[in-house]
Amino acid sequence: MAKMGMVFDLKACIGCNACVVACKQENSLPDGVFFTRTLSHEFGTYPNVKRVYIPTICNQCEEAPCEKVCPSGATTTRADGIVMVDRNKCIGCSSCAVACPYDMRTMLDPALFARGLFGDGTLTPFEEQGYRRFAPGTSVKCDFCSERVDAGLQPACVQTCPTNARIFGDLSDPNSAPSVLIRERKGRQPLAEKNTKPKVWYID
Amino acid sequence: MNSPAINQNSLKPGKWVNSTCKMCLHSCSIRVHVTDDGVINKIEGNPTNPANNGKLCPKGNAGIMRHYDPQRFRQPLRRTNPQKGPGVDPQWEPISWDEALTITAREIKKSLDQDPRKIMPSLEDFQKMHIWNWPLALGTRNFYQSGGTMCGGAYHPINGYIHSTFAAVNDAKYCNYWISNGAGDGFSSHLHAAAQSNWVAKARIERGMKVVAVEPRMSIAGAKAEEWVPIRPATDRQFAMSMSHVLVYENLCDDAFLRQDTNAPYLVGPDQMFVRDANKQIYVWDSVDNRAKLWNDPSLKNENLALEGQYVVDGVECRPAFQVYKDILKDASPEAMEKITTVPAATVRRIAREFAKEARIGETITLPDGRTVPFRPAAYNYYRGAQGRKTGMMTNHAFQLVNMLVGNIDHPGGRCGVTLTDLCVDNNHCFPGDCGQMLGTPHQLGPMPPFAWPPNEYHLAGYFPVGVHAPHLNLLGFLEPEKYGINFKPDVLVNCHSNPVWAIQGPREQWLKFLREMRFIVCVDVIPTEMTDFADIILPSHDYLETYNATMIEPPHTEGVCFRQPATPPLYDTKTEEDIFYEISERLGVLDQYNEVINLILGFNQKPHLKLEPGKKYSDRDIAERVGQLWNDKPIEWYIEHGHASTERRLDKLYRPWDGMRLLFYIEDLVHEREQLRQKMEEAQVPFRHEWQFDDYQPVPTPVLDPIHLEPAEYNLYAITFKDIQMNFGESLSNPWIKDITYRDPVHTGLLINVHTAKKLGMKNGDIVQVDSPYGRIYGRLATTEAMHHETLGVSNALSRTKSENRSVLMSGGHYNDLLPYDLRNTDGASGQPETSCRVKLTRLDDWPDFLKRGSTVYDYVDSIQNAKNKEGAH
Repeated sequence: MAKMGMVFDLKACIGCNACVVACKQENSLPDGVFFTRTLSHEFGTYPNVKRVYIPTICNQCEEAPCEKVCPSGATTTRADGIVMVDRNKCIGCSSCAVACPYDMRTMLDPALFARGLFGDGTLTPFEEQGYRRFAPGTSVKCDFCSERVDAGLQPACVQTCPTNARIFGDLSDPNSAPSVLIRERKGRQPLAEKNTKPKVWYID
Repeated sequence: MNSPAINQNSLKPGKWVNSTCKMCLHSCSIRVHVTDDGVINKIEGNPTNPANNGKLCPKGNAGIMRHYDPQRFRQPLRRTNPQKGPGVDPQWEPISWDEALTITAREIKKSLDQDPRKIMPSLEDFQKMHIWNWPLALGTRNFYQSGGTMCGGAYHPINGYIHSTFAAVNDAKYCNYWISNGAGDGFSSHLHAAAQSNWVAKARIERGMKVVAVEPRMSIAGAKAEEWVPIRPATDRQFAMSMSHVLVYENLCDDAFLRQDTNAPYLVGPDQMFVRDANKQIYVWDSVDNRAKLWNDPSLKNENLALEGQYVVDGVECRPAFQVYKDILKDASPEAMEKITTVPAATVRRIAREFAKEARIGETITLPDGRTVPFRPAAYNYYRGAQGRKTGMMTNHAFQLVNMLVGNIDHPGGRCGVTLTDLCVDNNHCFPGDCGQMLGTPHQLGPMPPFAWPPNEYHLAGYFPVGVHAPHLNLLGFLEPEKYGINFKPDVLVNCHSNPVWAIQGPREQWLKFLREMRFIVCVDVIPTEMTDFADIILPSHDYLETYNATMIEPPHTEGVCFRQPATPPLYDTKTEEDIFYEISERLGVLDQYNEVINLILGFNQKPHLKLEPGKKYSDRDIAERVGQLWNDKPIEWYIEHGHASTERRLDKLYRPWDGMRLLFYIEDLVHEREQLRQKMEEAQVPFRHEWQFDDYQPVPTPVLDPIHLEPAEYNLYAITFKDIQMNFGESLSNPWIKDITYRDPVHTGLLINVHTAKKLGMKNGDIVQVDSPYGRIYGRLATTEAMHHETLGVSNALSRTKSENRSVLMSGGHYNDLLPYDLRNTDGASGQPETSCRVKLTRLDDWPDFLKRGSTVYDYVDSIQNAKNKEGAH
């Protein structure tokens, strides 16, 4: 059975946020809502300083805390390992948001849909065609662009990444691009000590 | 809300249209998804273009939010409020196209009939050079736009001298050692940002290319570099020359290349000119026969050409050009330059040695076209941050000489010229010049206007024979017309996709006065900007998702036309730029002249069947069709299907396109131009001739200090500004997606200062400060970091928006440009480039000044994001 996962190449990532905007385009995200983000972190003392850009995304955990605490059965895991949220079952209780150690759940504030991306109380045609997928008040997160995956495409963030810093594929296949990178470049999982078994890995 | 069957935009029922991005001035290939309902809901990179390989930068990803911006101009508008100012409501009144064009033509004609020089053009569309050059049809050479010196400045003339190209780039395909000096190429900005960062990432990841970033702020390049070398602002030339000192004095140069492929052996006399015989042929020294010979003497062998030594030829004391530079470099040792750059001498020596080692001098590579050429996989890249100097011409030349010394010019892995456009696939761009040299082509955007006294251009363009247009110098004519001999006053401003009041440096109040004194201003644009606040008439244009175009704009590793086509019909009652300027031209009676300008600029003269005919008006589609045909004879239907004709750069144009000619190590033309200009100014008794900065014209650079270092000591810090990829080139911050990422990035939300420096000054993170330069003032909030040079204040371009009618744009504490000078003392006499860093001092304030207390500033927005973060579960 496939196990879809993603590798972030920290050496490649330039923190440009093309992935973040591609995600907003693909998924019609309201203002201030992110399924993926790029953080930056500086360390060292002048002049021996480094800055690392750190892409973040829902880790599609094998032991997903959000799924365990979901009281309505809205959060489930697909056969290929992608963790899904059913907006029709979500009751907006925020349990998942509290449980997620990665802060990757967002409760959709209904006011966002009234305010619009330009904040002037009108919606663009883009938003009108896109916001239909959302139930205000419910919980949302990245699902690796599951519809694109089903169509044999890469997630939107992976497709656009100028530096190929996002590598997507089947972690159950030892020869897949992400599996090879995890093995050869000693991949690490975020907050591995939380035992959530993330399917997102980082390489330096 | 309903639950449709498909959630993701790219999969909804609809069609893909192959087109070209215009969110910056470059031309990445895109595919635009339009739903069956006619809504554009996804833009992706087109993977068939080998430049961007399907990738897009954040700006390219954000085009939909420009297209559907509710503030887009929807019909022609006329101002009813006579008062003009930043953020002052013009009280627009919708009018018909006919009325708007009639008024516009009538007002332009009033000035045209009196004196074409009274027309001030400000036309910035770099993807449409036929719009940019429209003023040639009127006979005005004025210039008030941010291209020219606010862009690459002397970068372009020097590339013209060194490569005979507009731009230049490190060859990411082979480069293994990449010095990045004040540049974003391959990481955050400049040429085809998504494409180039894609190529550079491959070099870094797959080939382990080493990056050394030399810059005052640790930029993205600095963050990704193996080594960040902080440097004092405005000392990059001294750094480059200290590297060259090591290369020359430790014998790390590619002597064979210098002898065979450059004019470094040509003998230079005490007047800085080459030593020539009666027939104007240049002498070299044959070190085996131990005598002077003419450059084309059949008995000469390249390996015998002297690069060093002192000789006497025909009674004239002379030295090879290489020796001239070597003598200058004596004073540029890393130890001496450290006092200027703050870069430790040992670091410079190590980097220079690494650079020379990685350049693999002596090695060759056999190319797929069968040629065996030098393989030089190390290159020095630089751009706006490093080259924006008062000594721009010398500074750019100093960078290129680092490359030339190791023999990497137009060789695999080295520093390669990039043409703006080839027009036709078979055109080469290198031409033979004087005495075996390649012809230097500093006028990459066409020749500058001729010298005249009194001046014919408000910004003195005729006084920069090999420079670029310097829009900041318009203030000279405006503020002191008598001194500068200006006997006319521009009173009509024609503006198209240009925001000079945002982009051009100098005192804001004077620029606002300059605009207020215009009798008539027309703006062709898509959304409100700082500039459109001053318009009398708005002529709204279609956007890039509604129009045709075809262009090739300095793609780093590829060539060929990128084609734009409408993804949807226009949303509003707008027109193409072509329709607008043809309508105005016809009403002004210059239609035929305009067609001739386009035939010249777009190269239609090269294929006569493509030429525009007198008396006719052409559409955006007509012109795009001809640009495509000029390139490869393909019909427009082919371009509509493919979206581009981009292929990897043809090897004969990429590597050694000048084979058989000598490159200009020593730019004698700069001496020649200087003396000609001096003579003309003397003959005309130009009153400011003694102030003119003739010393900036040098055939090889010197380590002279820039005037910024001589400012009063009380200004104890340097200030720089910067952009990252989401702000590359034009306007982005009115775009909600760009705003959403930019103001979450700590480098764009405060004035960056080294944490240890702040401590010494008794200041801390979050302090509100007043920033004073000798020329202006801004306000801001300090953000301390370890990643800034210890004498430098970093001001993101995201903090330099000012109040305007565009409600999406957040003002901050003033504009960085207000801190900068506009005078001759701080302007390169050779290129027109002004200094773009400045000296500043900080004063801590207890609170914001009143004008920043009314809400809706960047800082208010940043605070609101921070506060929202603390809400449980929500970002």
